[in-house]
Amino acid sequence: MTTSTRSSRGRRRLFTGTHLAALLVALFTAAPLYWMVAGSLKSPRELGAVPPTLWPHKPTLNNYSDAFSHYGFATYLENSALVSVVSTVLVLLLGTFAGYALGRLPVRGKSNIMVVLLMISLFPTVAVAAPLYLLLRDIGWLNSYQGLILAYTAFNLPFAIWILRNYFLSIPKEMEEVAWMDGASPLRTVFSVILPQAKPGLFTAGIFTFVSCWTEFLLALTLNNSDRYRTIAVGIALFNGQFTIPYGDIFAAAIVSMLPVAILVLVFRRAVVSGLTAGAVKG
Amino acid sequence: MTPVPHSVPTADRASPPPLPPRARAAHRAPTASGGRPRSRPSLRRRYARLGWLFASPALLVILGVTIFPIVFSVMMSVSHVTVLGGGFQLSGITGDNYAVLLRSDRWFHALGFTVVYTVVTVAAEVVLGTAVALVLERLTAGRSWMMALLLLPWSMITVISGELWDYIYNGVYGVLNAIVEPLLGHGVNVLGTPLLAGIAMGAADVWKTTPFVAIIVLAGLVMLPGDVTEAARMDGAGGWTIFWRIRLPLLRPTIAIAVLFRILQAFGIFDLPFVLTGGGPGDSTESLAMLGWRAMFQDLKFGPGAAVATSTAAIVLIGCLLFLKVFRSQVGNEEVGI
Repeated sequence: MTTSTRSSRGRRRLFTGTHLAALLVALFTAAPLYWMVAGSLKSPRELGAVPPTLWPHKPTLNNYSDAFSHYGFATYLENSALVSVVSTVLVLLLGTFAGYALGRLPVRGKSNIMVVLLMISLFPTVAVAAPLYLLLRDIGWLNSYQGLILAYTAFNLPFAIWILRNYFLSIPKEMEEVAWMDGASPLRTVFSVILPQAKPGLFTAGIFTFVSCWTEFLLALTLNNSDRYRTIAVGIALFNGQFTIPYGDIFAAAIVSMLPVAILVLVFRRAVVSGLTAGAVKG
Repeated sequence: MTPVPHSVPTADRASPPPLPPRARAAHRAPTASGGRPRSRPSLRRRYARLGWLFASPALLVILGVTIFPIVFSVMMSVSHVTVLGGGFQLSGITGDNYAVLLRSDRWFHALGFTVVYTVVTVAAEVVLGTAVALVLERLTAGRSWMMALLLLPWSMITVISGELWDYIYNGVYGVLNAIVEPLLGHGVNVLGTPLLAGIAMGAADVWKTTPFVAIIVLAGLVMLPGDVTEAARMDGAGGWTIFWRIRLPLLRPTIAIAVLFRILQAFGIFDLPFVLTGGGPGDSTESLAMLGWRAMFQDLKFGPGAAVATSTAAIVLIGCLLFLKVFRSQVGNEEVGI
């Protein structure tokens, strides 16, 4: 990104202060994560050892099977996946049109709308929990997929519209003008001219939305409290056993639940990083 | 806090964000009002109608599921709420629910805790996040790997990081104790001590959220004009001077956004205390969101609960309005489309 042409002041040392600092940052970030992975491979006895063992002496996968067999973790995983994926698709679909309209079309008062949307995306969820609970109860959508999907779609739309709109603003106009001139319908223009160019923006908005649905807790706890419809976050928070906290099982479940997002981030790291840096702030 | 200079790389459509390959094309395009002859009002009106058509599904969903409940919540907070078997009833307008708050030590404590917690953690995150961003900027090899690593805590379910830190802080077999004990000669029950529990929670929060701030600040750093820094270097300015006198002032709008986002998010904190401390010991780490949620869904006191929730939202709203300028600078001026 930066093509910093450093003046040749002997900066080409192999290991510089920057590297040391980066190493420290990496260490601080990774250490707790390592502790979780190590913990997930330890037996309950080893998890409670004083002093703690630095690495699992007798690594076992029991925690992983326990998480699935004792705690219905598979159901939670399924629920989270379904709710997050459907919400993300809906957000991208509705958000694309709204973002395009608010970015490119002459909608009166659109900058006020954008300001309000930006504010809504930062509002504390607790403010809407009770009314939403009562509303969904009245239409019988508590403990359902569609209730949570509706809520997640609404809560993630503002920020997604924000990212997408900024992205659309950066796309040159000529192509869509040509499409208009050639008599392409508005829908057709959006789908075959705008969307292909907006892929990175869609990617960023999609990742943000997916992560935020995948990790959401308050609404999931409030709206879907029956075991059948629990998401991972709620499931893990309520994993606690009667006498002891089953850390091993929790960590095993945690790692499995982190995998999809972690793989996404690692494989697409360049796209994610450039998407986030371009989309997180208005350029 | 700080006024945002409008000149710095904010919203100016004529020079689009950093997309080098397309930049040239975009520069040719913008004539007066978006390159469209003004003599076709009917066409403009058609586009405007299309705009509303495109925007309305999303806006309706947002209106129905966020704005309407917020209004409803306000109504609940000023009504007598009676919970019945099959439902509940709102009757009469009253200030009772708010009077309950103002007489309640617990609410004042939650308010105080939330404010202090927000200010301290966000300050720490911004300082650390800026430092991390500076490191990342100078890191040439392996930057994307570093970013990927930093994104892991960010993408983690807060509940999980809560459990993880709970295990780390455990008073008997926690690894923190194993580290601290040789130094102090005794273990510490971090989560059992009010002040320490708050600090410990803040540390867990900082670990998880600093990457987010770092990414935003890095985005700002990357977009700083390089020639200014280069000129200063030519004039013999050192690294520190360049940072404090040139880059930091230029970064101010970016940092303002990061601060704003984080303050407003942190103010609604719920997951972390719910899992890590349970609001305890006692009520010492109970946030406003947690107090409101407990009042509503554990004690079924919907009226006072709604008052807590509404007042929390009101504080956030006031914060938003105070920083309206920052929001506006993000959005840019009203643009005339096609």
